[in-house]
This record gives sequence, structure tokens and C-alpha cells, in this order.
Amino acid sequence: MGKKRKHSETLAPAPVKKNDESAPERPKRTLLGWKDKSEGEADKSKALSSSGFRNKEKVLVTCSRRISFRYRSLMLNMVSLLPHCKKDSKVEAKSSKGATLNELIELKGSNSCLFFECRKHKDLYMWMVKSPNGPSVKFLVKAVHAMEELKLTGNHLKGSRPLLTFSSNFDKDAHWKLLKEMLTQVFGIPKEHRKSKPYHDHVFVFSIVDEHIWFRNYQISVPHNESDKIAKGGLDKMTLIEVGPRFCLNPIKIFAGSFGGPTLYENPLYVSPNQIRALEKRNKAGKFAKKIKAKTRKKMHELSNPLEPDEFADMWKDDE
Amino acid sequence: MSLEEDIVSDDEMNMIDEDSATDSEAESLSDSDTENEITEKLAEPTKTAVYNRDGLLDKLQDISWPEDVDWTHKLTVEIDQGQAVDVNDDLAREMAFYTQALEGTRQAFGKLNEMGVNFLRPANYYAEMVKSDIHMEKVKSRLLHEKKQIEESEERRKARDNKRMAKEVQSQKMKERAKQKKDDIESVKKWRKQRQQSGFSDKAGEPELDFESGKSFQRGGGKKRPGVSPGDRSGGKGRPTSRMGNKKREFRDSKFGHGGRKGLSKQNTAETTNDFRGGFRGGRAGGNKRQKR
Repeated sequence: MGKKRKHSETLAPAPVKKNDESAPERPKRTLLGWKDKSEGEADKSKALSSSGFRNKEKVLVTCSRRISFRYRSLMLNMVSLLPHCKKDSKVEAKSSKGATLNELIELKGSNSCLFFECRKHKDLYMWMVKSPNGPSVKFLVKAVHAMEELKLTGNHLKGSRPLLTFSSNFDKDAHWKLLKEMLTQVFGIPKEHRKSKPYHDHVFVFSIVDEHIWFRNYQISVPHNESDKIAKGGLDKMTLIEVGPRFCLNPIKIFAGSFGGPTLYENPLYVSPNQIRALEKRNKAGKFAKKIKAKTRKKMHELSNPLEPDEFADMWKDDE
Repeated sequence: MSLEEDIVSDDEMNMIDEDSATDSEAESLSDSDTENEITEKLAEPTKTAVYNRDGLLDKLQDISWPEDVDWTHKLTVEIDQGQAVDVNDDLAREMAFYTQALEGTRQAFGKLNEMGVNFLRPANYYAEMVKSDIHMEKVKSRLLHEKKQIEESEERRKARDNKRMAKEVQSQKMKERAKQKKDDIESVKKWRKQRQQSGFSDKAGEPELDFESGKSFQRGGGKKRPGVSPGDRSGGKGRPTSRMGNKKREFRDSKFGHGGRKGLSKQNTAETTNDFRGGFRGGRAGGNKRQKR
């Protein structure tokens, strides 16, 4: 049943467009079959035809096997935030995962993907991919706080479309521009998506601070009266309550294809967490070696520069 | 919930992270491994890093939506961040995000308002929320618990302060009382001196006042024994347990005693010194009694 509906939905816009060009008096085809024009639908189709654009974004959300529970709950939060996503079972994170995932994306009929890859039970990488012909971005995800944390007290409708706010420094460079476009497409819920709700009660924040993209999700609470209009001065009284999740994305690389292809961008400041850990370990391990080295150096120094014999050494011995 | 509270809670949440403050990001809550010495970024950007600007722009062209797309499809707002935000200052960072969201929402709502679309959720619109009711119940109970704890601690502090205050007040009062007493004594002394000087020193008329020692007008050192006669050494206990069961024994007990100090009853007092009625042998009362019998 569900599949049938989906099929019809994906097909729906094309005939509508054609109709408008050739025979405007013909009844429109809607999800529930052929119907006469009612005012609401007429409006809708008008809006559709005016721009000729319909956002058909579908996001596949999945994760690697052996993901830790914190990261998995982050993934589930993303699933609950994005009604236009499809969740799939875990994928083995091998070198061939790209091909598998591409196949999966095609199978699910989606055109983008969020893939959460956990390594060593510690490091979370997130792939954000446009399929089938790219680009794809690999992020390192840090500072993860899931929505379940009790300090985050907000709540909002499931499936309401978020407002996306970007900090202005997304426009300063080409790769940020590309990232902004991708984030807009992946995190923005398509208008009139069947699982979305027609109200706006939360806002996403994407902000570049220190070359990282920080994500926040706030609930909007505005005093408004029953006519759904903001009361006078309501905008000034508006407050935001954080809903979560929180995370911070550090872009590592941007590839031209989906899950592969030539590298378009490489973060010059990136150090992998493995390297950091190794350095830390080396610093710790160096302590004993350093001590021994210092000791031998001292010995060598003493041997090479012997003390002069003390001329007063047997001064008192003579007296006895 | 007000803005301040929200920010405070954010701050608390980041408290645990602060040991890894040198990182460009805060560590997650559970992993508290410190990476103090090692920063996450290279000090200098590597020269060999790929940057294909044309490729990036090409891709952007490929994926981007048509130019004339209605804003309602995107719902994006760009907000100027102002000056650079310090990442390691949790409060400033969160504040920057909050203001960005707030400004963005204001702009977006302004646009939506102009379009005349209903975009606010009516009060009677019930639908599934992102967080379940059970979870929100937990959140609520936690907030209440926190509030209660704060109240309790406040109360405790208040009680402590009150105690300290009461102590101070008490000591003040004591001091005042001592001073009052001293003044009173002083004044009486003065009065006495004046009286003596003016030649009014009538010994009989003047009561013997022993103010200096601080004692009041009590005789016998303030030791009162109800129901016991003045010479009684048994302290009134002789009577009920008298062994002879007669008055004589009682008397003797009271006179010679069953323990206690003997001395005073046999000593002469001012009255008995020149009183020879009882002869030399007996005391005044006992002797008399015996003779009479």
C-alpha cells in the first residue's frame, strides 16, 4: 500500500506540468485519483506550475556496524527530525562500502544519504552524499549530545518544517557554499511532503565557528492568539528552547562523486583523531626513555670532563 | 523557561567538557579523556591540501536548485555573526548560536507573515511530537527536582544566617543588661555617699544593703529547706524513719543527728552567750525539756 502511494506521488508532478501547457481545462490528477478542481488544489497546482519546481529530496540514513549507542541515538534523532528520510539497516564499514551504499540509495529511490560511520567505538564520521553523481562530504563529528539528554528541555512537532539559519560566513568560500547548498537540501524538509506538518515551530542553526559547522535545534515559542497570527510585539517576546541534538561537524574531504571520485577539497587543518591519540601516547611513553637518556648523557659528560685531583685531599692525613 | 536559565543549563552541560578546553570542540559527555597538550588543529595549514575551486563551483551548479525557487521551499535565512566567536568560551558560543537562531526566526516569521500563511501551530492542534510524553515527564520532574534543591539550599542558608543573627542579638542583650546593672549599682552608691555627706547617716534607719557583693537580700546563703526546722541536721528526714518510734528519738535525732555537721548547734550564739537558764550542762532547748520532764 505504502509503496503504491509513493509511486503515484513521484509520478504526480509530471502530468500536472504537461497539462498546464497543453490543456488547462482537463481535471487534475491527484494522489487519490482524478478529481475536479477545488479551490485549494487549484492554488496548489498554480504554485507548483509557477516555479515548475518540486523538491523530491529523499535521504537515506544509515550507520556502520558496531556503532556505539550514543552515536546510534544521534542517528535516530536525525531520523525523527527528518520525515523525508529512510532508515536502513547497518552497513559493514569496509573499503567497498561505497558501492554497497550507492546500490542501497538507488534501491530505496533516494537521492541523498547520511551515513554515520563509527570507528574504534570512539570516532564518528558522517558522510553527506548526493547521489548518483555527487558530491559527497566526509565530516568528523564531535561534541555529540543526543536529544534524550534531560538538559535539553524543548519539544516540537514531529515533521514540522524547520527554518534553516546559516551564519553569513558560509558565503566566504567555495567549499562552504557547496556545503551550505547540500545542508539546505538534506536538512530542509520538502514543502508539502506527506509526512510533514504545515506549521513552523523549530529552527536549525548551522554556524561556522573555528572552521567547524555547529548544529543546534531550537524550539520556537511565540505568544500568539487563536487566529494563528502573532500577537503585537510577539516577535520581541519570542524565546527559543533547545531541543537537541547538538553536534559539531569538521569537514575532512569533499569528493566529486557519490562515496568516491576525485577529491575537490581537503581540509588543510585536519588531524585525524588517531594521530592525536598516537601523539599523546608517544608523549607519555617518552618519559622513561628521556630519563635514561639524560642519565647516560650525564655519565658521558662526567667521563669526558674528569674533575681535577683535589690538592688538599690528604692535607689532614699527614697530621695524623 | 527564560533565556538566562536556558543558557545556564547549557553551561552546566558543558562544564564536564571544560577539561578538554584546548580542543576546538568540547568532548562528549561520557568521554572525559583530556587532551590538554594536543590541539586538534594543525598550527599551520598543510600546503599540499587539494582545493579545486572550479570543481567545487561546478558541483554547486550541478546540485543547486533553480534560481527562481520560491523561498518557502528553502526556508533559509542568513545571519551575520558579527565579530568572531571564541570557541572555547562555551557561554559566548552558545549565545552566538542562540542569537543567530532568534534573529533568523524573526526574519523568517516576518516573511511568512507578509505572505499571509498560517504558520503557527494552533492551540488545539495535537500531533506526534519529537520527544514522547514520557520523556517530557522526565524532563519536567528533573526541572522540578532542581528547583526544589535550590529552594532547600536557600532555606538552609537562611536558617544559618538567622542563627548567626540571633546569637549576635543575644550577646548584645547580655552586654546591655550587664551595663544596666553596673549603672544601677553606681547610682545607688552615689546616692549613699550623698546621704552620708549630708549627715543623714542614721544607722538604724538605713537598711543593710550589700549591693557590692551582688547578692540580694537573702539570709543563710540562699539555702532554703522547706519543712525543716533551723537546727535540724537530719534535713527533715529523721522523722519518718525514726527507730524508736517516739518523740524522744525524733528529737534526739534532730539534735544529735544522723550524720551532717554537728558543730553549729553546740556553738554559742549571740543570745546564748550570757544565758545560763539551762545550766552549764545542757543546751537551751534540750536541757530545758529534759529538766521539765
